[in-house]
Amino acid sequence: MATDLPRQSITLPTRGRPRIGDLGLRGLAGAAAALLVVVMVALVYEVAREAWPSIREFGLGFLISEDWNAVTNKFGALDPMWGTVVTSLVALLIAVPMAVAIGLFLSELAPRALRTPVTLLVELLAAVPSVVLGLWGILVMGPFLGQHVEPFLKDHFGFIPLFSGYPSNQGLLPACLILTIMVVPIVASISRELFLSVPGELKQGAMALGATRWEMVRSVSIPQVSGGLVAATMLGFGRAVGEAIAVTQVIGGTLGIHWSLFEPADTMASRIAAQYAGTATHLQRASLAYLALILLVISLITNIGAQLISVRIQRRMQGSSA
Amino acid sequence: MILHDEKSDMEMRRMQRAKRFGALSLALTSVLLAAACGSSGSSGTTSGGGGGSSNVLVGAGSTLVAPLMSQWEPDYTKSSGVTITYGAVGSGGGIDAITSRAVDFGASDAPLSSDQAAACKTCLQIPWALAATVVTYNVKGVDDKLKLTGPVLADIFMGNITSWSDPKIAALNAGVSLPDTHITPIYRSDGSGDSYVFTSYLSAVSPDWQSKVGASTQPAFPTGTGAEKNSGIAAAVQSTDGAIGYVAVAYIASESLNEALLQNAAGKYPEPSVKAITAAAAAVTEIQPDGSVPLVNPPASAPDAYPMSTYSYAIVPQSSPKAEALKAFLTYAITDGQSFGPDLGYPALPDAIVTNDKTEIAKITT
Repeated sequence: MATDLPRQSITLPTRGRPRIGDLGLRGLAGAAAALLVVVMVALVYEVAREAWPSIREFGLGFLISEDWNAVTNKFGALDPMWGTVVTSLVALLIAVPMAVAIGLFLSELAPRALRTPVTLLVELLAAVPSVVLGLWGILVMGPFLGQHVEPFLKDHFGFIPLFSGYPSNQGLLPACLILTIMVVPIVASISRELFLSVPGELKQGAMALGATRWEMVRSVSIPQVSGGLVAATMLGFGRAVGEAIAVTQVIGGTLGIHWSLFEPADTMASRIAAQYAGTATHLQRASLAYLALILLVISLITNIGAQLISVRIQRRMQGSSA
Repeated sequence: MILHDEKSDMEMRRMQRAKRFGALSLALTSVLLAAACGSSGSSGTTSGGGGGSSNVLVGAGSTLVAPLMSQWEPDYTKSSGVTITYGAVGSGGGIDAITSRAVDFGASDAPLSSDQAAACKTCLQIPWALAATVVTYNVKGVDDKLKLTGPVLADIFMGNITSWSDPKIAALNAGVSLPDTHITPIYRSDGSGDSYVFTSYLSAVSPDWQSKVGASTQPAFPTGTGAEKNSGIAAAVQSTDGAIGYVAVAYIASESLNEALLQNAAGKYPEPSVKAITAAAAAVTEIQPDGSVPLVNPPASAPDAYPMSTYSYAIVPQSSPKAEALKAFLTYAITDGQSFGPDLGYPALPDAIVTNDKTEIAKITT
């Protein structure tokens, strides 16, 4: 019994010292987290408050109106919403298969010596500032598309509405391709990690049963990571929907809904970026904030959706391994 | 026994820790919040703008006056000791900045709309530079100085004329061989004084344009491609065969762009020279109640007048904590400062405008 006392008196000070640091850390981290919540709430509140005159004036009709006119002071979101949906979906349509292929190549198929440098390059692509990509879009990609690719598509596939219209340096097509370039590295690096996470026993099992490498990928790896790939795609979608600067630089910010990929168009983010400085009327400013609010809601839904899916996948994986 | 004691001891400590943690995080958050609110509150309430010292005047706005401003800045500092800082963010951005009093003066090529004037609360608009908006184009095989009339220009920007070989364009340009190139109209996607001048002119000469589009810093162009700022228009026009757009006059020379000659009310095609802009300013002397002097489409009595001329305005609050410094700088800009203009393509202000400006400037108080 007596030996317990000194031990306690020895352990107390050593326990007490880190406790202050502990407390500081928890306090700081807690404050940071609390601040984040405050900022998030304040952000939504402020955007909604800015948008209020437009919400009051146009209500939900804003979502289906094609007007955007500072002279008559009538505003609607239909055409930038259309532009956002088209550019993001086309970008995903091109980017996701490519990115999954890259992920598969880097995790399963590439020679070992190639894996690290190519992985680094893919991640480097994700780090290129969007304004730089946009500049390249204006100077190089736009003119190339407008002068070579689009005339070719028009000559050979002009009967499809998507490829009708006059080729131009700015328009939907360069915007879609710029977004593709931005989405590929995100989805590629996530899918690479997903493929790496597939348990080796499963893959070896498939091989042992006589599956070829492709059969192993198709029947074991892809089903294992399919949920994760959906989540990665949604993250890519969030990136494409929200991108402003690079899209503004190449899309040619115009009004109306056009079927042709060659025609200039506009997205919600790009319209906000192009017009927020120097709005002609109070209501135009409010309408831009309304657009921002719609964007915010879409991003929230996308992110929550991605998280729900990845949680469900994790549960399923745990269930299957147990 | 001792084990049990230790356990309850630990629990108590954990509870204390949790309490302290809560209090600490609460304190930290409130400190951070107070800091954030404090700074935003002060920027919202001080009407001083850019800096506290009256040795510094901060302005923002029109890119059209930016070249002139870059001459005024060093010259004025030399003679008065007051530093001028100017951000060429565009006319619309300048109006926003002075409305929120983030700067000491704004600059815009478009007068304030009634909406903007109400938001700006007793702002004065003082014409302090004369300039012009010029139509530029890029058509392979067509040289500089193509002739256009206002109605033809309106038809092009409404999508009624879509080819450079259109008979309406050919009729104005006998002897010029025009290719069958598709016309790509290019306009400003940001709020712009040049857009205002351009669409005011089209509204003045084309009833169709007036009723379908109208005049604004951000009009709803029915067709064409948007580009940001003067430099964006210049780049888009240069890289697109068949493009037509509009820029501030100073950019024609600096970007070596083609300029189109516009027919004025007298039926002549004057170049957008200092002389032709001066002639437009001399023909229009009426000052509107809001202080603006619209120069587009001057009457036929001025045969040499360029039809898309414009004043650029300083937008200043009637009550400013830096009233004295502001008055001195504005007076300099409309008098001594004008001497830099002609070399850069800005004609000197007419005497009547200078006289009127002086009465306006005298209204500024602290």
